[in-house]
Order: sequence, then C-alpha cells, then structure tokens
Amino acid sequence: MIAYYGKKLLLLLGSLFLLSLLVFFIARLAPGDPLVSYYGDRVEKMSTEERWQAEERLRLNDPLPVQYARWLEGALQGDFGISYKYKTEVTEVIGSRAVNTLILGGTAFVLVFAGALALGVFCVWHEGRLADRLICRIGTALSCIPEFWLSLLLILIFSVALGWLPSSGAYTPGDGGLWDRLQHLVLPLLVVVLGHLWYYSYMVRNRLMEEVRAEYVLLQKSCGLSKSAILLRHCLRNALPSYLSIMALAVPHIMGGTYVVEAVFSYPGLGTLSYESARYQDYNLLMLLCLISGAVVIFCSLLAQTVGERLDRRLKHGAEAAAVATVAAAAAEEGACAHD
Amino acid sequence: MIKKRMTSPSALAAGKKPLLPALFLVLIVAGCLCCELFIPYDPAYMDLAHASEGPSRQFLFGTDTMGRDIFSMIWYGGRISLTIGLLATAVSALLAVLIGACSGLAPRWLDGLIMRLTEIILSVPNLLLVVLLQALWQQAGVLSISLVIGLTSWMSIAKVVRTEVRQLVHSDYVLASRCMGGGFFHILARHLAPNFFSSIMFMVIMNIRGAIVAESTLSFLGIGLPLEIISWGSMLSLTENSLLAGCWWIIVIPGLFLIATLMCITELGERFRGARSRRHSNL
Repeated sequence: MIAYYGKKLLLLLGSLFLLSLLVFFIARLAPGDPLVSYYGDRVEKMSTEERWQAEERLRLNDPLPVQYARWLEGALQGDFGISYKYKTEVTEVIGSRAVNTLILGGTAFVLVFAGALALGVFCVWHEGRLADRLICRIGTALSCIPEFWLSLLLILIFSVALGWLPSSGAYTPGDGGLWDRLQHLVLPLLVVVLGHLWYYSYMVRNRLMEEVRAEYVLLQKSCGLSKSAILLRHCLRNALPSYLSIMALAVPHIMGGTYVVEAVFSYPGLGTLSYESARYQDYNLLMLLCLISGAVVIFCSLLAQTVGERLDRRLKHGAEAAAVATVAAAAAEEGACAHD
Repeated sequence: MIKKRMTSPSALAAGKKPLLPALFLVLIVAGCLCCELFIPYDPAYMDLAHASEGPSRQFLFGTDTMGRDIFSMIWYGGRISLTIGLLATAVSALLAVLIGACSGLAPRWLDGLIMRLTEIILSVPNLLLVVLLQALWQQAGVLSISLVIGLTSWMSIAKVVRTEVRQLVHSDYVLASRCMGGGFFHILARHLAPNFFSSIMFMVIMNIRGAIVAESTLSFLGIGLPLEIISWGSMLSLTENSLLAGCWWIIVIPGLFLIATLMCITELGERFRGARSRRHSNL
C-alpha cells in the first residue's frame, strides 16, 4: 500500500518538475519585456545603462539554465520570488486571489455535480419521451455556445437592460458584504455552470442508459420492485463509482473553465491573474500559477483512479485496465471540449 | 403487455441522416465563399456617420461602433473563421496522428515518456499555452493563430491514436508488412490509419468546433486577430463599448451565426460517434 502511494507521489513530483522546466523555458524564450511589468512605461525612457542595471537587479542577465537552477533552489525552500507587477511575494499575490476563484469554482463544481446527477437520472427516467428529447436538444445547443458570448448575453440582459446585477468585479469597492458578493457571483457562476452542466449530465445519462439495459433490472422488475427503487437504489449505485472518478477529473476542467469567465467579468481570481502574468511576462507569478494548476490536474487524475478502485472492488481485482480505460475515455472526451 | 417505446434520441438519430444541419452548413459555407456576389457594402469600410446604428432597411443587421455593416462583415468574416477552424484542425490532427503513432510503435520506455509529456502539456491551462505561443509572432495573423490553436489541441487525439496503434501493432498484417520492408509512413498510411480513423473522426470534427470557438475567444480577449482582419471573433471583440451603450445587435447577431455553425458541426459530428446500442430499456 505504501509502495503504491509512494510511487504515485514520485510520479506527481516528477511531473511537476518537468512541468516547471517546460513552462520556464517557453516563458523565457517567448519574446517580451518583463521590465515593462515591473517599471511600467518608464522602461521606454531608460538608457541602455539603466536597463542593464534594472535587469541585473531582477537577475535576468544570467544564462537561462543558471536562472532556472536559482529558481528551483528557491522554490524547494518555499521561496517562489516576487511578482514583477505587484512587487510582493508571489505566494501573497496568489493567496489574496485564490479565495475568489475557490468560491466561484467550488460553488460551480457543487452545482454541476448535483445538477448533472439529477438531470441524468431525470433523462433516463423519461427516456425517449418528450422531456428527455427536449433536454437533450437544449443541452446540445447550450454546449455549443462559447462561454464568453454567453457571458456577454447575460450581462446585456441582466446588467444593461434590467439593471438587476452588476457586470464586473467580485464586490463593490467600499462595500464587500455578503449580499454584495453574492450579487457579483451570480452571473459568472451561471455561465460556468451552464457551460459544464450538460457535458456531465450527458455522461450520467449514457452510463445509466447502459445500466438499465442489464439483465438484473429485468429480474428485479419481475420480482416486483418499483421503477424508482431499481433506478435509484440499484442502477445509480452501480454507476456511481465511475461518476465519482469522472467528477474527480472534472475539478481541473471546471476550475479551468473559470479562466475565460473571470476575464470577461473582470473577476479578480486566479484566471485573470494567470492571463495577466502570461501576457506581461511576470515570470515568477506565471511559474507558480502553472505549477498549482498542474498539480491540481495531476492530483485529480490520481484521485480519480484511486476513487474508482476503492469504491468498485471489481476494478482492483484483475480489471484494473477497465478503470484506466474509463478514466482515459473521459479524459479524451474532455480534451475534445477543452477549448470550449 | 410490452410497451413499445422509442429507445433513445441518439439511437434514432443514428438511423436518420442529419439533413437539416448539413443543408444549413452548406448554406453558410457557400454564402461565405461567394459573399462578394450579394453583400451590399465593403465589410472593411468604416462609415463613421452611421456608427452603432440598429438594424434597419439600409443596414440589415445594423452597424458596429466603427460604422461597418454587420451583414457584410458576417459573410466575409465567416471565411476567416472557417479557414482557421479547418487549418487548426489539420495541424492538430496531423500532429496527433504522428505523435500518437510514434508513441504506439516505440519501445515501452519511450512510449511512457511521450505519454507523460503529453499529459504534462495537457495539464497547463490551455489559455496560458496559447498566450505564450502567440507571443512568438509579433502580430497575430490567420496563419499564426491557426498554428497556435493547432499546436495546443492535439493531445487528447494523440492519446486515442496511441491506444489504438498499441492494439493494432501486433496484428499479423502489420508484422507481414514490416517483414516485407514497409517503412513507418507506409505502415501508418496503409495499415494503421484506416483502422483508427473511425475512432478519432468524432474528435477531429469536434476539434473544428473547438478551434472556431478558440479563435473567437482569443480575438475577444484581444490576443487573437486584430480588428482589421474580420472574423466572427474579431467582430465580437468590439463589444466592450457596445455593451454599455446597449447596442445588442453587435453582440447578438454575429454570435447567433457563430452558434448556428457550431451546432451544425456538432450534429454532423454526432454521426461519427459510433453506433449506440439499440436495445430496449429493461426499466
């Protein structure tokens, strides 16, 4: 058991190391001036001498491998450097924003998790009937709408036309009470949930549709069990392990889904932060953000495997390949929608 | 008594050809290709006297904040958007097949390494990867943005290709071909590709959709196409100003065109999703 988790942990650390290497070199090799994010417009007026001094102060003059080694040394001791733009510790900058993203992403995840399950069960219950077909149609249509456009539409309706909800930010400066925060959360949350809900409902629906075609359903029916008892107590229970592993993979998917939404609503979260840092060469900030999201992705896929094996003993004994296949298929489908 | 009930919408759809979406898509593509024949204005001409005008007899879909006619822009811009969708997908599919096949045919350690790397790239948020790669070109153009989108969307297809190749590689006909001196590309094209083609077809078509969405999102965020290159995405990037002014047509109309196209592509893609079981529900 310890060897098993030890191996997984090693894999996680190795992947993070490779990830840091990759991001470091791509970021440094991409053209752009990190000085701009530190000194702002003053950079344009600097003489060559001043520039050189500034670069020396930020230690940007050494060869890349040396810079990477220094970064790694600091990172291993918990020092991730300072953000060029905010001029404070990177961890502080991220810490102040992470809460907002966790609120948005976490709430969205809970809603998608519950909603997808409910919608999937509802569709299978009414399989082939009008309600099911209608939901399928609407769901497919919804999944085609780009997130930024949906955001714009909602802003247009609820902020501009009706004036009910604010269109940007996480709270009104000076206010920041619970009610105010909730009002700011509604629209971004709605977009993230609508953007992901059908994708997972469809998975639940397909999985359950397979399940209700099994032989044991027929047997239970002939024994006189009610439809709800069969569907909820038996079919759903069999489908739950794979749903849970898929939802573990959904964590990074939904968190990543907040990126564009945050940008449209200027919601001060990790999404806007990483977008800024990539655009304006705030190297240290970018590195840590990539490492965090990479760690979440890798950790969640390990979690998905473990959850599947824990809940469904069949997966562990002999049929480990099946678990991997479910997870791989889910990941593959997820990738197909990654750009959405 | 056995109740007769239709199995499922998807099973039904599998029997039915998606005529309507196909027709609609042909209409949009043809309209975009031959737009010179019927668009009333030069899509790039900025008529500042008529900026931000609502839909009217003169301007069917209204004008944007720079006074360009939206009706003309939609048809003209569709070309760019569709081109980017196809070009980016071609890049990603080619990369995916090559990398997937290499990984599938490689010895175990190399296969493991390539797949690990693929997963690592997959774990970087897509938006960041695009921003970093896009920085390599000073000014985004149709070609550069297709390349960037293609370079960041091959991973999941490559994984599927690799799994399929791994299963196929031990079959006798591949062995026979190898013995007769068939090279990598020969085996890939003649023996492997025809076999995994059907399993990646759905993903490839969905990639077209993804690429069009990606282009419009990037242009909207201001890191994609500049305003002068008209596409459905760059048309929507002006919306920050029009939002506050309440000019809904600048946002809604190009968006509807975009979504209609995406829906048609999805419907067509569903055809390749592999037939579902047509058995009746036991419930």
